[in-house]
Amino acid sequence: MLKKSSIWLVVLISVVAIAFIATGCAKKQVVKEEAAAKPVVEVKKEEPAPEPPKVAEAPKEEPKPEPVKEAAPPPEPKKEEAPPPAPAKVEPLALVAMRIQFAFDDYNLSTKAKENLEKVASWMSKDPVVKIQIEGHTCEVGTNEYNLALGERRANSAKKYLEGMGVNPSRLSTISYGEERPLDPGHTEDARSKNRRDEFVQTK
Amino acid sequence: MKKIFSIFAAFLFLTILLGERSWAKVYIDIRSPSFRKFPIAISPFKAPISPNQEIKLGERATDILNNDLSISGFFAVLDPKTFRENTVRAGAGGSASGTGPGLTTTGPEPMDFRSWANVGAEALVLGEVIYKDRSLTLEARLYDVVKKELIVGKRYIGEITDLSRMVHRFADEIVFALTGELGIFQTKIVYASKAPGDKELFLMDFDGRNVNQITRHQSICLSPRFSPDGKKIAFTSYKAGNPDLYLKDLRTGEERRVSQHPGLNISPAWSPDGHRLALTLSKDGNPDIYTMNSDGGGLIRLTNQPAIDVSPTWSPDGRKIAFTSNRGGNPQIYIMDSNGENVQRLTFEGNYNTHPAWSPRGDRIAFDALIGGNQNISTIRPDGSDFRILTANLDRCEAPSWSPDGRHLVFSSTRDGGPYIYLMDAEGTGIKRLTFQKGGDTYPNWSPRFKE
Repeated sequence: MLKKSSIWLVVLISVVAIAFIATGCAKKQVVKEEAAAKPVVEVKKEEPAPEPPKVAEAPKEEPKPEPVKEAAPPPEPKKEEAPPPAPAKVEPLALVAMRIQFAFDDYNLSTKAKENLEKVASWMSKDPVVKIQIEGHTCEVGTNEYNLALGERRANSAKKYLEGMGVNPSRLSTISYGEERPLDPGHTEDARSKNRRDEFVQTK
Repeated sequence: MKKIFSIFAAFLFLTILLGERSWAKVYIDIRSPSFRKFPIAISPFKAPISPNQEIKLGERATDILNNDLSISGFFAVLDPKTFRENTVRAGAGGSASGTGPGLTTTGPEPMDFRSWANVGAEALVLGEVIYKDRSLTLEARLYDVVKKELIVGKRYIGEITDLSRMVHRFADEIVFALTGELGIFQTKIVYASKAPGDKELFLMDFDGRNVNQITRHQSICLSPRFSPDGKKIAFTSYKAGNPDLYLKDLRTGEERRVSQHPGLNISPAWSPDGHRLALTLSKDGNPDIYTMNSDGGGLIRLTNQPAIDVSPTWSPDGRKIAFTSNRGGNPQIYIMDSNGENVQRLTFEGNYNTHPAWSPRGDRIAFDALIGGNQNISTIRPDGSDFRILTANLDRCEAPSWSPDGRHLVFSSTRDGGPYIYLMDAEGTGIKRLTFQKGGDTYPNWSPRFKE
């Protein structure tokens, strides 16, 4: 598993590099897209998350069949952040890309979710200072009070898994936002499935 | 801020009784399942002296009253077009002078009741608004057209900002005089809105007028619930970084955090006597229902299941609590005794039923039912019989809350985008949109009647 993912990483990085070079002009487009997307997403104050990846979320390797091809370019810029700090001993993990998805009214971890959590756990084991908060989110379907509880379940699923991987519970906190902080403000099934997620935010 | 809370100051304006029959007759038997809507005519209110041309006090008063009586469901409010001649004859067209003071305290002038009977009215409202020396006076009378007599007459004296309250108050008089039941026209609705960017709480009159923002947490405020005396609102806010429970005193504006356990402190529900709050806490590792005193003390755990238990609502007698639980695999409504015993599943239709609200009359429980991909407001009897879907084709409808008379529901719907807050009667008809600010309005909660 790990091997596979590290190959993926290499591939990704090289793709990013190539794309980076090749997108000199494409970049403008990216910027434009961001501008277009921002107003809808609503800038959120909290989430001291890395950089502005909020907007560029689409790229991550979702468990589902990748959506539209055009969606590919935006992801790249995010990845740029990872390579530069490479010299450091413990590479910062792009936590935004570790976001995990859930099925409707469900808090069980998918295989893909577990892979991401394993990456998070291994990163945390290399950098013993770091602490993270796991945010549980839901889609807009259903009543928010139930969704707040469901979001907490989702956050706890990830927390328990990380604890099982040896992460000290004192380094993990959880919070549920229910349906209050959608990643995608749309009302399509595609948007909703993106919103059923856990996010990881470094708190220290 | 002060202005907002002065809303709750006891009615400052003066009320003078202009005459009332001493014996009561029930004109509309609203307890009868098939009562006939009572035909009533509202003659346009006169407003001989207005502060300026822009503020059409007479028209506003007439509109507010017309809207109140229409929403109540008790009345067939006659179309003014059908009685234009009568109003001209009565000199109620707004002429500034000539008819003198119009309504006088000495009682009704002889008038042509027959012409009102001819257009089908059985009751008639005449009124006048006078703004003079920075003082607003509303005089209104309700007549029995058939018996040709005054049923009730009132004069209210206050400030210009009191107009809608005066009209609502007279509307309550009309309902009480004709049905023997208390009206709901002086009630309010609290809700959460993202109009300011962050999700804050807002208060408005039951008809959607006089919208006021009451929190400035610059965070996420959720699930506001009026205390049974109408003086406080319990709600959840992320202001301190965690979903904690707050109480807001509506008179003073003061806020207090009363529950701040790790994890969820959500979905508060006041016991009918106002002494206890049921809520969901996850401090013990799982979202379960607890009750506590309104200061956060005296915590008692009611549910203890490895499942989600949220959104409690008390029966009006305080003996039972309905709530949402997914202990059966998906969210359904359950009922238990208010000490946590005798849990029974209430809903079996569909696989996603949430957010129960027990009617103040006790006879029905409203909730959200996910049916065919859409959420619909539904109701069911507390014994599990007579399940009814009230909304259809309104997109996502959420969070039903009952009027204090149990005859209406407010809820949020995405029918027009939004979501916005809507009102309808308990049978699902008469749907009326109440909010229009952009940003998304959710979690409406209907106040009780305010004690004066």
